[in-house]
Amino acid sequence: MPSAVLTASHLSRRFGDRLALEDVSFTLEPGEIFALLGPNGAGKTTTLRILAGLIAPSTGSVEIDGQPMSPQSAPHLRSRIGFLTEAPGLWDRLTVRDNLLVYARMYGLPSPGTVVDEALERFEIRDRGGDRAAQLSKGLKQRVALARSLLHRPRIAMLDEPTSGLDPASAREVRDLVLSLRAQGRTILLCTHNLDEVERVADRVAVLSRRLIAMGTPASLRSKLFAPRVRVTLSQSAEPFTGVLRAAGLSDVSVEGRSLLIGIANSTMATPDVVRRLVEAGAGVETVMAEEPPLEDVYLKLLNPGGEAS
Amino acid sequence: MSRAFALLGKELADLRQNLALFLPALIVTVVAIFMPVMVAVIVPAVTGERLSDSGDIEIALEMYKKDPVMRSLDPEAAIQAYVFQYFLVMLVLAPITSGMSVAASSVIGEKQARTLEPLLVTPITTLELLGGKLLGALLPSLFVAVISLALYLAVVAAVAAHGVFGVLLGPRTLGVVLLIGPLAAMVALQLAICVSSRVNDARTAQQLGIFVILPIPALLLGQMFGGIELTGPVILWIALGLFIVNIGLMWFAIRLFDRETILTRWK
Repeated sequence: MPSAVLTASHLSRRFGDRLALEDVSFTLEPGEIFALLGPNGAGKTTTLRILAGLIAPSTGSVEIDGQPMSPQSAPHLRSRIGFLTEAPGLWDRLTVRDNLLVYARMYGLPSPGTVVDEALERFEIRDRGGDRAAQLSKGLKQRVALARSLLHRPRIAMLDEPTSGLDPASAREVRDLVLSLRAQGRTILLCTHNLDEVERVADRVAVLSRRLIAMGTPASLRSKLFAPRVRVTLSQSAEPFTGVLRAAGLSDVSVEGRSLLIGIANSTMATPDVVRRLVEAGAGVETVMAEEPPLEDVYLKLLNPGGEAS
Repeated sequence: MSRAFALLGKELADLRQNLALFLPALIVTVVAIFMPVMVAVIVPAVTGERLSDSGDIEIALEMYKKDPVMRSLDPEAAIQAYVFQYFLVMLVLAPITSGMSVAASSVIGEKQARTLEPLLVTPITTLELLGGKLLGALLPSLFVAVISLALYLAVVAAVAAHGVFGVLLGPRTLGVVLLIGPLAAMVALQLAICVSSRVNDARTAQQLGIFVILPIPALLLGQMFGGIELTGPVILWIALGLFIVNIGLMWFAIRLFDRETILTRWK
């Protein structure tokens, strides 16, 4: 069992009378992508700022590599974190290269010029190195900001809304970069509203709404909230075959065109048995797929347990 | 401290791309040069009346001639030296103006462009951050002080009577422009940084800086009408006062400039 890279224990934070965060605890394991989800004002950015030692929690503690975060240790521990802020925050009048160079010096990296050149190469922005940041598109700015936050090769990358406002192609590039970071063994804390993005990249998800509502793998959250279902698509109309399944003891059966949606949670019958029954009844089975509700449904159901997911 | 120098490098690089910030300092320098030239050279030339013939200035001239350096000058040159010395105080406004422009723009500019948070997540300490910002505004102010003094002296050498330039080129001049000037500029820019943490546009920060500028014309008037004489010890006392104010402001700025305040209250 690998030891946690970051441990957040019972974090709470109050701003005046407003409680922004209440008793939040979780750990980040090495090489995982952990997504922090939540509506606006849920405390995601506050959580990131506390984890990065930028603001202090009212109660609770943060440890990075087993070392407690404190005003004294924060500058040192921050060097292990790469933090992508919500806005790229580049100095517009400086060139891309100069923007990165200042940060390379700020992190005290040896041969900052070489490090910057490597980063420009790695993030495929070498040809824009001499351009002023103001001249870049939003997607490129985000890429430069990402390069900046990873210049010092931190163990943990905290990314606040990394694809916010990007077009689909740019968002995909950023997503690919995030996946490549995981491949390098880095731990990534992803703070986002983009559920599709989380679905594609996250190993674990935490849903935050001032308090931690749920945490786990996307699959485990789904299975907690939604019964497993199977979608069987036939070559003919599905309607005549509902009776066969109900007769076999499956009560949760519905039809969508040529597809049968079958709930198998409360049944002793496994998917192969269902398919066999259908084939024996003369159905032409084309595809059989596990029916997974989108993460959006899971998220909405978690935030609004009494309401409809979609 | 290397992080403070990294930030200083950024500040200076940024400034090179934003030279318009020096425009107010340029205007102040031109005015500070033009006013004594007008009084000591242009008006006497246009009216044909020598300054030394004026009864109003005679008493001052007598006082001024007590200075051993001035005894070698003829009366007209002495009174010109008197005028140029007095207006020298106005030159202090140039580094103050540039310091305030740069500091206000630097801090508020970072707030508006949302470039502070990425900076704050680096290992930089508050002292380094503030040090980088202060030096980034102070060095250009020193540069402005030296350039404005050089221009002032060049104009004096070009238009004033023989010997005036030599009188001006002394420790008193250097003390006023290169000691009081930068120290006053530092007060101004630290005040601008403190004010910047509570307002959102550079103009407001600069307007509040009037509290630093006001004592300078007051000093000029004090010299003319209040019997204040900027002797060596007086210059040193003023410099000491400014130094103490700077220490206090630095203490205050560090407290205002903490990360949590910046992130949660700077809106």
